[in-house]
Amino acid sequence: MRNSRNTRAGLRGAAIVAAAAVMMAACTPSDPDAADDEGGTSGEDAGDASGGDLRIGTTADVVNFNPLVGNSRTDTWVTNLMYPSMMTLNSDGEKVPALATEWGYGEDGLTAWIEIRDDLEWTDGTALTAEDVAFTVTAVKDESLGTVSGMIGAMEDAEAVSDTRVEFTLSRPDGAFLNSIGFWMPIVPSHVFGEAPTVADFANDSDWVSAGPFVLTEVDRGQRYVLDAVDNYPLAEGGQANLDRVIYRVYPDVNTQVLALRSGELDLIANALPPSVVKELSGDDSLELYSVPSLGWAHMQYNMRREPLDQVEVRRALAHAVDYEAIRQVVLGGNAVSANSSVLTPTFAQWADDTAEEYAFDPDLSRSLLEDAGFEDANGDGMYDDVSFEMIYDTGDPIISTWAELVRDQSAEAGIEIELSGLERNTYLSRTQDRDFDIYAGSWAIIDEPQSNFVLLFDEEGFINYAGVDDPDIDALMEEASSALTVEDARGPLQEIARIVTDEVYDNVMYVEQFTFAATDQWTGFDPKPSELLSVVNPQSLASVRPAE
Amino acid sequence: MAILRFGSLRLLRGLLTLWFAVTVTFFLVRLLPGDPALAVASPTMTADQRAKMLADFGLDEPLLLQYVNYLAQLVQGNLGISFRQSQPVLDILLERLPWTLMLTGSALVLTLIIGLPLGVAAATHKGGTIDRIVQIGGVVGQSLFVPTVGIALLYAFGLGLGWFPIGGAIDSDVYGFEAYISMARHLVLPALSLVLLQIGAYVLTLRTNLIDALGEEYCNVARAKGSSERTVVWKHALRNALLPTTTLVGLQLGFLVGGAVLTETIFAYPGIGRAIYESVGQLDFPVMQGAFVLLAATVVVANFLTDMAYGFLDPRVRVS
Repeated sequence: MRNSRNTRAGLRGAAIVAAAAVMMAACTPSDPDAADDEGGTSGEDAGDASGGDLRIGTTADVVNFNPLVGNSRTDTWVTNLMYPSMMTLNSDGEKVPALATEWGYGEDGLTAWIEIRDDLEWTDGTALTAEDVAFTVTAVKDESLGTVSGMIGAMEDAEAVSDTRVEFTLSRPDGAFLNSIGFWMPIVPSHVFGEAPTVADFANDSDWVSAGPFVLTEVDRGQRYVLDAVDNYPLAEGGQANLDRVIYRVYPDVNTQVLALRSGELDLIANALPPSVVKELSGDDSLELYSVPSLGWAHMQYNMRREPLDQVEVRRALAHAVDYEAIRQVVLGGNAVSANSSVLTPTFAQWADDTAEEYAFDPDLSRSLLEDAGFEDANGDGMYDDVSFEMIYDTGDPIISTWAELVRDQSAEAGIEIELSGLERNTYLSRTQDRDFDIYAGSWAIIDEPQSNFVLLFDEEGFINYAGVDDPDIDALMEEASSALTVEDARGPLQEIARIVTDEVYDNVMYVEQFTFAATDQWTGFDPKPSELLSVVNPQSLASVRPAE
Repeated sequence: MAILRFGSLRLLRGLLTLWFAVTVTFFLVRLLPGDPALAVASPTMTADQRAKMLADFGLDEPLLLQYVNYLAQLVQGNLGISFRQSQPVLDILLERLPWTLMLTGSALVLTLIIGLPLGVAAATHKGGTIDRIVQIGGVVGQSLFVPTVGIALLYAFGLGLGWFPIGGAIDSDVYGFEAYISMARHLVLPALSLVLLQIGAYVLTLRTNLIDALGEEYCNVARAKGSSERTVVWKHALRNALLPTTTLVGLQLGFLVGGAVLTETIFAYPGIGRAIYESVGQLDFPVMQGAFVLLAATVVVANFLTDMAYGFLDPRVRVS
């Protein structure tokens, strides 16, 4: 008996050890670096004279390496470094040349043209030409690829008439057409993407051929994406990036990310930091903080399909019941600016209306507006009868979740009851899509081309017309603005739309967030651009960054 | 013969459990509000594009048909294609699986190595200082929240003392022996946080069973025959007290894997748990389902093996 028990115990022990050994062994083939032993610069040499490796933290993996299909932030950050856009943004939110040098419309607005640089080439040595541009935009149109396909409804045809010139035929004048494709559409190599049966199904997950400052060379899903600098990138000063490599490392948790930055494991965090973290990091001398404005705005929308929100007095009462400055200072720690309650925000200097004014915080005004509209407080509890609303928001957004409570408390002072419904993100999206809410609290990430984007917001059928705007005056002005071919011609109708939206409270624009990014002080030369998408990781910025002296 | 019958019955039970888990998961993810097209849609997409996306995902079919298709695929070992990454789910998961196995495996082994002597010490010093510390520590450990433990460990040993890296599973540009050292260094903190969370259950179970066993007559007989207390504890009582602990390994495995979702997220560890975390946010049904199926299968297999081991170890189990 004793012997047999000993044997069993021994077998059990052996089984445990064997299982552990199997698990360890199972990981060995996954050792991502053992397989390709090419040497290269060490991850520790950040800051040396050779340019070094810039290690950037992101919260998510690349989902899709095809830049015409992928639309997550990390997708864009990585593919932006490889597939050039024709335009980029300056600090005033204007589209300025990148791959493109000049562009314009024919007099009747039914043709358009773009001239591109002649000195870029793909990493396999093939020249980047107008043919690649025509191929890309045609594939987007034919296969309805990604977000850009929604912006080129007016395009009938694109043709490369020379190596550097593309000409477009349009079915109607569309003043936002060139800016939209120029900024949003990365150019892909026709001789690579054209080989795939369909561009949509082309995974582009190995042997990358690119024309940006960097090219992907190594992918370890869940861990890192390594991009090497290319020798020839004429858009950078000196003809190539200063860095040797850019390494995106994935840290799903922001707190871990910040610890990694402070311990020197990361050089930069690509995603915008929450205000609470910004406050914590602002005292750290070894870090540099960069701030850029959002290209969108945070707002509340009132569902005008529902009573009594269909009455403008009620919407105005709601708008005047909130202390926006307090929200910006307290909740966002000052990392936000007023949009003067206008959908033409100060980020876009060429569109913004200097005469716009923010809704004053005035609970008494709210009360008198409600009383003028016939609402009463019959039981004398301080709250008006039949003025009670449900406000939905995404609990995954810590900023909005916090100010939602302020809005509720401040509205109560004006006699308006707001019941908060914090929802999980997908539930929130679903209810917004179904227009199933009284008040919606949220934000737009990027509204960069009001001439075309306003249709999404304010057309009766607009995909994100959550409030249910249906206003013939706005419709006519949108028609006028979208066909205007110059900023000067478009500005008038756009500003008039913005005035009507503010006046009728079709969209209550509360603030424009200022995103903050953190890097260690080992690096200099970043070129920050508006929005979280471009921020300090845009190709121009990463091509010019270098070790600090 | 009895062991064969016992084995096939357990196998059947395992398969039924797996089918049940697959079915519940399938319908559960589809009961989630919102649709996957919406989760990835952008405002400039047309209604047609969104409809096309749903059709591409096969989500325009009747639910029952989707279910039958899914089961048919599954028995062929096909877990489907990810909605977001145009890649087979099985490839995505197999790429991640070794890391999770290594993390949970080493956490389990560490737990047993540390937990066994602790449990014995507590049981043999019942009511003493060690026993009290183990009891309090065991309960506290089980009620800790993974992210809190994780961040605390990272803050102390990663940022403060600089002994261990903050995130990831291996450094870049390390080869050969260096790579194994790097893997081990990255493993310490996440494994430690899993150990802290689950060791209480093992130690407390072992302690209770060992105290019971030490009061049994066979222990008294051993003592009467002149065996030292050490022999009584380690050679007689512990053997029997370990049996229920074996069961606990199977039961706790589910918990361990669940803990891995948060642990891998906090420590930026590239395992299956992370894949689940990401796919839930993106409503990537195939990856969610695939991961759950894989995890359910792991737990079912572990329980099957435990049952079988039990059958071998204790003849009474086989017969009943």
